[in-house]
Amino acid sequence: MLEISNVGKQYPTPRGPLTVLAGASLSFNRGEAAAIMGPSGSGKSTLLYIAGGLEPPTTGTVTLDGFNPYATSEKALAAFRNQSVGFVFQDHCLLPQCSVLENVLVPALVGNDQADYPARARELLRQVGLEDRLDHRPAELSGGEKQRVALARALIRQPRLLLCDEPTGNLDEASAEMVSRLLLELSRRNETILIVVTHNPALAARFPKRYELRHANLHPAGA
Amino acid sequence: MRIYTLLARNLAWYWRTNLAVLLGVATATGVLGGAALVGESVRASLRDLVLERLGNTDSIITRAGFFREELVGGFQPATPIIVMDGVVEHASSGKRAAGVQVYGVDERFGKFQGQPGDAPHGREVSLSAALARELGAKAGDEILLRVAKPSAIPLESLHGRKDDAGRTIRLTVGQAGDHSREFSLRTQQGDVRAAYVPLERLQRDLNQPGKVNTILVGRASGAAPLEQRLQERYTLADVGLRLRTLEKPGCLSLESDSAVIGDAVAAAAFSTAKSLGLHTQSVLTYLANSIRFGKREIPYSVVTALDSGLAPASQDGIALNDWAARELGAKVGDRATLEYYVWRSDARLHTETAQFRVERIVPLTGEAADPDFAPDYPGITGSRSLRDWDPPFPLDMSRIQPADEQYWDRYRTAPKAFVRLARGRALWGTRFGSLTSIRIFPPSAAYAEALRTALDPAQAGLAAIPVRVQSLQAAHGATDFGEYFVYFSFFLMVSALLLTGLFFKLGIEQRTREIGVLRALGFSAAKIRRIFLLEGAVLAVAGGVMGVGAALAYGALILLGLRSWWFDAVGTRLLSLHASVPSLALGAAAGMITGLGSVAWTLRGMQPVTPRGLLAGERKSGPLRWRWMVGTVAVILAAALVVAAHYGRLDQAAGFFGAGTLLLVAALLFQSVWLHARGLRAIGGPVALGLRSVQYRPGRSVLCIALIASATFVIASLDAFRRDGSLAGTGGYALLANAELPLIHDPNTEAGRAALNLSPLEGVRFIPFRVRPGDDASCLNLYQPRNPRILAPPPAFLRDARFAFQGAEGHAANPWLLLESKLAGGAIPAIADANSLDYALHRKLGEEFELAGVRYRIVAALQDSVFQGELIISEENFLRLFPDSQGYRFFLVNTPPGKADQVARTLTAALSDYGFDTQPTAALLASFHRVENTYLSTFRALGGLGLVLGTVGLAALLMRNVLERRREMALLRAVGYRRRHLFAIVLAENAFLLLMGLATGVVCAALAAAPAVSARGGHVPVASLAVLLALVAATGIASSAIATAVALRSQLLDALQSE
Repeated sequence: MLEISNVGKQYPTPRGPLTVLAGASLSFNRGEAAAIMGPSGSGKSTLLYIAGGLEPPTTGTVTLDGFNPYATSEKALAAFRNQSVGFVFQDHCLLPQCSVLENVLVPALVGNDQADYPARARELLRQVGLEDRLDHRPAELSGGEKQRVALARALIRQPRLLLCDEPTGNLDEASAEMVSRLLLELSRRNETILIVVTHNPALAARFPKRYELRHANLHPAGA
Repeated sequence: MRIYTLLARNLAWYWRTNLAVLLGVATATGVLGGAALVGESVRASLRDLVLERLGNTDSIITRAGFFREELVGGFQPATPIIVMDGVVEHASSGKRAAGVQVYGVDERFGKFQGQPGDAPHGREVSLSAALARELGAKAGDEILLRVAKPSAIPLESLHGRKDDAGRTIRLTVGQAGDHSREFSLRTQQGDVRAAYVPLERLQRDLNQPGKVNTILVGRASGAAPLEQRLQERYTLADVGLRLRTLEKPGCLSLESDSAVIGDAVAAAAFSTAKSLGLHTQSVLTYLANSIRFGKREIPYSVVTALDSGLAPASQDGIALNDWAARELGAKVGDRATLEYYVWRSDARLHTETAQFRVERIVPLTGEAADPDFAPDYPGITGSRSLRDWDPPFPLDMSRIQPADEQYWDRYRTAPKAFVRLARGRALWGTRFGSLTSIRIFPPSAAYAEALRTALDPAQAGLAAIPVRVQSLQAAHGATDFGEYFVYFSFFLMVSALLLTGLFFKLGIEQRTREIGVLRALGFSAAKIRRIFLLEGAVLAVAGGVMGVGAALAYGALILLGLRSWWFDAVGTRLLSLHASVPSLALGAAAGMITGLGSVAWTLRGMQPVTPRGLLAGERKSGPLRWRWMVGTVAVILAAALVVAAHYGRLDQAAGFFGAGTLLLVAALLFQSVWLHARGLRAIGGPVALGLRSVQYRPGRSVLCIALIASATFVIASLDAFRRDGSLAGTGGYALLANAELPLIHDPNTEAGRAALNLSPLEGVRFIPFRVRPGDDASCLNLYQPRNPRILAPPPAFLRDARFAFQGAEGHAANPWLLLESKLAGGAIPAIADANSLDYALHRKLGEEFELAGVRYRIVAALQDSVFQGELIISEENFLRLFPDSQGYRFFLVNTPPGKADQVARTLTAALSDYGFDTQPTAALLASFHRVENTYLSTFRALGGLGLVLGTVGLAALLMRNVLERRREMALLRAVGYRRRHLFAIVLAENAFLLLMGLATGVVCAALAAAPAVSARGGHVPVASLAVLLALVAATGIASSAIATAVALRSQLLDALQSE
């Protein structure tokens, strides 16, 4: 279960602290999926990064199955991101120097279990329809294909939490449709908590839970 | 997929950046390894040179005097030779060369050196190539060789032949020897200036048949140590001693070729006699000019000092033989006066007298009539009559009466008077000894061998010297060129490392988002740092390996420079590159470590940024207040160092470098603060927009400024340390002179000038120095001076208090007088030039050290003087330490203003028999300055290379910036900027960095070097410096312009469409 309790975030600026989040709270059970919407600069991505252990909150706590990643060491926090969280970014963030398969395997490089990651990577790439592009470099892929690689990479460690920041923001309609379908399908299959930040209403509409960030706080969509 | 796969992918993908890093490390490695190679190459070249010149010589047996040639028999492989210094004159052209090494050799020498048939014959002489070139001599030409005439009798004693000190030999040039195998015993890097003369010819002309003064000994496997073999094989004759059996008194008489027995030999003679149960009688015989009683006198009489038998009982007593008593009309109780000559150490013959009371009158029979009390004096003892005497002092023949001749006829050198030994020693003892013979009673056949065994031949002047070992030690060099070139190349190395760090930093910055992704995927910061460090390590190792080649190239380039452009620093073209694995490994290791350190330093700033920040391309810099504080402290410390250097509390060079570095650091920190704080605010056009770009990456900008500033600092400041031909170090003396043959007479006196055949020179004053020849301890000699030349000035010179001192013990008002002080522990006070102490002798003021068994203490250091090649001690100590040293061989000469050249010519011509070689003191000082200035030029040239590297780095950085900002540029194009506007923007940024770097370097150099400029008399050639810096600026801007043009050539608007 993901618990986001009373999370606040301020950034220091020369003109005083800038409040991005003020007491945001959410909770999700395993297998749940939600979309967070809001205008640019509203703090959607900040909330996502706080949930994923990428950015510590100024106030409040985040726990995943009772584990507070910010109350641990940097090493444990990194392990938390590696084992429990999968990220998909708007511009995919693939390593240009690595092939498709290698990009998917990158998170496994710091895993210390004996799982057969290459096989799992191949399976994931098959599931996202890229089984014939394993040795291609990111530069040789389309935007939608890159994002599907990023999705496979996010799932390689079978995370409990999948966080997507505008995953279809740079994609055409067809690719966006395909990526969003895959997101929901794969997260459901893996019983992953899926949170997607988007300001694409069509994408948000596919999620059972929808929230809006306004005035540094979360509100149920349409409320 | 493994971490190593990722590593390999990273290395390949970012190959451009990685190549730049690799080249940076390779350059640093090349510079370090190359510098180390230079040190090793100089040492190896010096080693090769000395070994080549020594040939098969391993050790030598040598003596100041001559010894039997047959001694060579016990030391095979070996060859007997004569080694001397001489002056050579080309007979037809009159060209002269002083300080020539003269070797008397025969076919045994050729065989010994593996060059049979190479020895000259008859009146032939072989000249070394350099000497032949200097004289313009070719085969068949006649030359005149002038060498010191050997004299067993000390020149500075009454019987020394002062006016016949040299011998001129006419020879014909046979061949200019084999250049590749020119023999020399001198450890010097310069050309061999030697004349190889037939041994037999030299022996004959020097009147030393069958004798030599040196044996070259080769390596003999399994042989006993040379000293031991010498001790077993030498004879008393080899050390100038002889034992005569005197039938009449029934004793052995130990006598010396020098007519006096040295104290060490006397001590051995006494102890040997005692060990054999024999009795001894010490004898000191002297020549009195007259024995006078009242108005009567006996001229030129032998007087013997004894302690037994015929000796009077009291110190003021004298025993006359009855012949003398009769001639004088003296009886017991009368007072007699002895008048005699004494040659004092002031280079003058003195007539002195001593009063005695006639205590005994002894009959002229038996022991009293013994002519063997007198040693053999050439020109006296062998004469048939008194009128035939040919002594080296004035005689008044008119005083000789028939009775005197009759006495000579009948009794020869039988003494006419006897005095107590102690009184005789007090009157006639010299530093060479105070006995003329030692008699041993009864004559023992065992005594000769016992004395030979007891006597250390080295004490008697016959020494075995391991020249090869000593020369190899000396070949380690006075100067560690490796160390010097590491210093000289420091800024080049720093530039390379800054560039390494800069390019690595660029690489990291380029991959900031990648780092963010990895962090988001669960890579810890430590893990990512390890990956990058591993990448850095691979690049460092590859760069290090690649740098080995660069080291060889750099080393070869520097050696080429030393052989050509920087010849003055080394004075030889015989330096070659010696690839040394340890030097290359050292360079590679140091390059790798410093390269990796540079990478690690760059990575240190990665931690504070959050993964999200990294994903957003965020960078963090350290707190600015800290930079202010450190910068301010650095400025204060720099000011303190400048003041300390100005007031002489700190070495100027140390003060300069310390202050300069601190000022540079402070300037860079302040600039960093300024750039981070958005110091450039206004945007008034494309140029101003370009200047704002300087703040885009403040760290990069500061690094660029640092790169240019540090190299500029070196170039701009070095002139402060140049010597400008100041004459302060000449002591006000216009000339100095070295004489090949010692001058025994004082050229300042009329008598001295008459003896030297020197016309009076108005206004010319000589300061004669005693000289113990030795190694040149100046910067002109690359070899480590093992036994530096020692000079001893007369006491009056010390009181003149000329020359400036850099430091003296106890801050003495006249540090020269410290030479006369008695030091606790018995060390000999010595003065040397501060430069020699620092760079050649590696000693400090107040340091005590031992040279050839004598302990010295540096009591004062001269400042930039003409005495850079030697140690100076007092004359009193000199005569005590080196009693065998004769006369004066170094002179400072005062001349009337504007007459120095004329005086030099006159002296050189008039004293040519002595190999008198004059040189303007300013010229010698200038030759030292030339070495120093050449080093500065070297430093400057390598600093210039650093500046070139910095400029290239700057251009590369600029290109990188432009490529990074292609979207920005494209946007500007999209809103209507023309290509020239973009060009102006980029160029403005680069010009700003370049000019900031140049200005920072120049200002810091000016501030730090100001005390040195005023104190050292250096001058700053503002015009040439300005031209140089303008050239650098122009080159930098031109290369930047090219880089900008290349970067802007692509279709920028495409950048707007791509990610």
